[in-house]
Amino acid sequence: MAFQDNSGDIILDVVLTDEGRRRLAQGGGQFSITKFALGDDEINYSLFETGSTTALQDLSILQTPILEAFTNNTSLMKSKLLSLANQELLYLPVLKLNTQIPGASTYSSDGNFVVAVNKATLDDSDAGTGESIGINSSTNQVKAGFLYGLDQGGDRAGKIVIDSGINSTNVTEIDESLIETQFIIEMDHRLGQLMSVDGKTFPRPVVDDDYVAVYTLTKTPTDPFVKTPSQEDLADFSTPIDGPISTRLSFKIRSSQDLRVSNFLFDRIGSTTQSYNKYNGNPQTTKYIDSIIRVTGRTTGYAVDIPVRFVKV
Amino acid sequence: MTIFKTLSAEDRVSTKTLLHEAIPITGAIVSGNYGTFPNDTNVKNFTHGMFQSVYDYPYLSSSANHIFDISIGVSTESGLYSSITEQQSKKNNIYNQMAQVLMGYDKDGNIQRFDEDGDIVAGGNKINDAIFISFSRLLVKDEIKKGSFELELGTQTTYATPFSERIKIQDTNAANSYRVNSPAGEYGILYAGESAGTTTLEDNAQPGDTTTPVGLIYYQAGVVVLSASVFLDDNDGGVLHDTGGTPDMSGPSGDHFDAMITGSAISASADAIRHRIYNLQFNNTIELNSTVYFCRAKHNEFNYSANPTYLTGSQIRVKNQATDIPISYITSIGLYSADNTLLAVGKFSEPIRKDSNIELTFRARLDY
Repeated sequence: MAFQDNSGDIILDVVLTDEGRRRLAQGGGQFSITKFALGDDEINYSLFETGSTTALQDLSILQTPILEAFTNNTSLMKSKLLSLANQELLYLPVLKLNTQIPGASTYSSDGNFVVAVNKATLDDSDAGTGESIGINSSTNQVKAGFLYGLDQGGDRAGKIVIDSGINSTNVTEIDESLIETQFIIEMDHRLGQLMSVDGKTFPRPVVDDDYVAVYTLTKTPTDPFVKTPSQEDLADFSTPIDGPISTRLSFKIRSSQDLRVSNFLFDRIGSTTQSYNKYNGNPQTTKYIDSIIRVTGRTTGYAVDIPVRFVKV
Repeated sequence: MTIFKTLSAEDRVSTKTLLHEAIPITGAIVSGNYGTFPNDTNVKNFTHGMFQSVYDYPYLSSSANHIFDISIGVSTESGLYSSITEQQSKKNNIYNQMAQVLMGYDKDGNIQRFDEDGDIVAGGNKINDAIFISFSRLLVKDEIKKGSFELELGTQTTYATPFSERIKIQDTNAANSYRVNSPAGEYGILYAGESAGTTTLEDNAQPGDTTTPVGLIYYQAGVVVLSASVFLDDNDGGVLHDTGGTPDMSGPSGDHFDAMITGSAISASADAIRHRIYNLQFNNTIELNSTVYFCRAKHNEFNYSANPTYLTGSQIRVKNQATDIPISYITSIGLYSADNTLLAVGKFSEPIRKDSNIELTFRARLDY
């Protein structure tokens, strides 16, 4: 998309998204606009010069050229504006990927999580073929950063943990209104499915026309995904957040049936690599697809993107 | 804390707007701009020979847009019908097809002929030999704007210099006077006036006069029905002045239009008509049904951001101390469904500052 002409009056260029058009075509009241949000995708707030005079503080920001609207519903409104009752807040909560607690670390060399799509990829010791890539030969444990959502009830493989809190030691307590109680997780529905760490709960997503599955997870007393760590527990936790933590989100990824039974998607949107070793240490030719899982705090709108690689031997 | 703001009934209004576009079609596009007349590369003839299509660019190009079709129709009641030696049945079929759609049927189920003044009950003159110009929906959109149609035809007798005498055909005063007794919607009467030459029309009518009816224009259907009389002089039953006489419509043979109707194919007659189109223009009408969403950001709303660059180590970048006002910059508006799906999105041409001293109302209009 091109930049918009910003030489004259301010223009608002509005388009229906592809999903909006799809719902309009479906009829039956599927297309119903009930709310709005404001976004600032192009803005880089590091250009704001707090040390400058008031008139010059945001000069660079106000000169930011704006792109025309995309029609892909998942490509826009990535960062949204928030309404907070308290106008005197200096700190806001952030989401950070927690790789410090046991089982939550990323794969060491790639810096991302690796989802083994089937047992033959994770651990084929039962079959004794030695072709799998998920077991560390020195510890006989699943390699760090490997996820295996098919392991119902087991905890052999890793998990993804996100902490919400204020990342500053200048703050000791989070305002009640800033606590995350709901998370939105977006991922490619063709590749995998979200599941709880114990492998027993499969939330149902809403899937759009671009195969993006949207999961909404809400904190309840029995919810296996979203928890509030107790103050006693916090003392023992390792967390990347320097200040107070409000909520912790944990989940695993289960590969889709398409990936398990077919190589079509690997050939179409993936590639092969020899960067993973077999149990005997020799490189294994591995099919992979790289993707991103986006986690957004429903309360704060803060989002983190987690790189995930689906692998198959 | 909220990201979304619910739109109430007061924030939503539906409107209907009529939008008009000017559609100018010069004679050069119709003949002579592309290729050599009559074999223009923007003109397409079909093996069935029932009509001819005119494009705005050589039609083999993917950039070409279809702009209108020309055809000829003759009623069995016409004095020429029995003399037709070329495509007799096809000319009659075309007439009947267009009459079925545009005029409908009488009480006995017979197809009604085109009536010169639209007053079917009173009888009067019928258009038995008709020229049909059917405009593409790309140009007409929802309808032709009443009172905007103009077709200027060269009527000079000599084939080589057709435009030294011209008549202008208009739907004069149609905005205030049109007919609704057609199954195809509203239609108006087309009147001819002299636009070049002093003895062009038999009654010397001027553009804007309503003394010389020469056809009908169907606004929603986008079809013009012209009487063949526009190319015949008074002696031959037409509207042109006897002084100039009936124009030569075909170069080599010098055939008059009545001779072409009887002895030439529809495509040859269409070529002859194109050769005499000097100018053609009208305004179309687009009916825009709009829903306007008023997105109101009050002074204490949308002053913070979830943009990753908004914070540095959880501290807000645009503040030095807690008492500084929070500032955000708006570049887009998202319109969402109840299940948080983005259905429409708007982008501003430049960032708009929002802080607790500012209240904003954005008007996002969706047209259907």
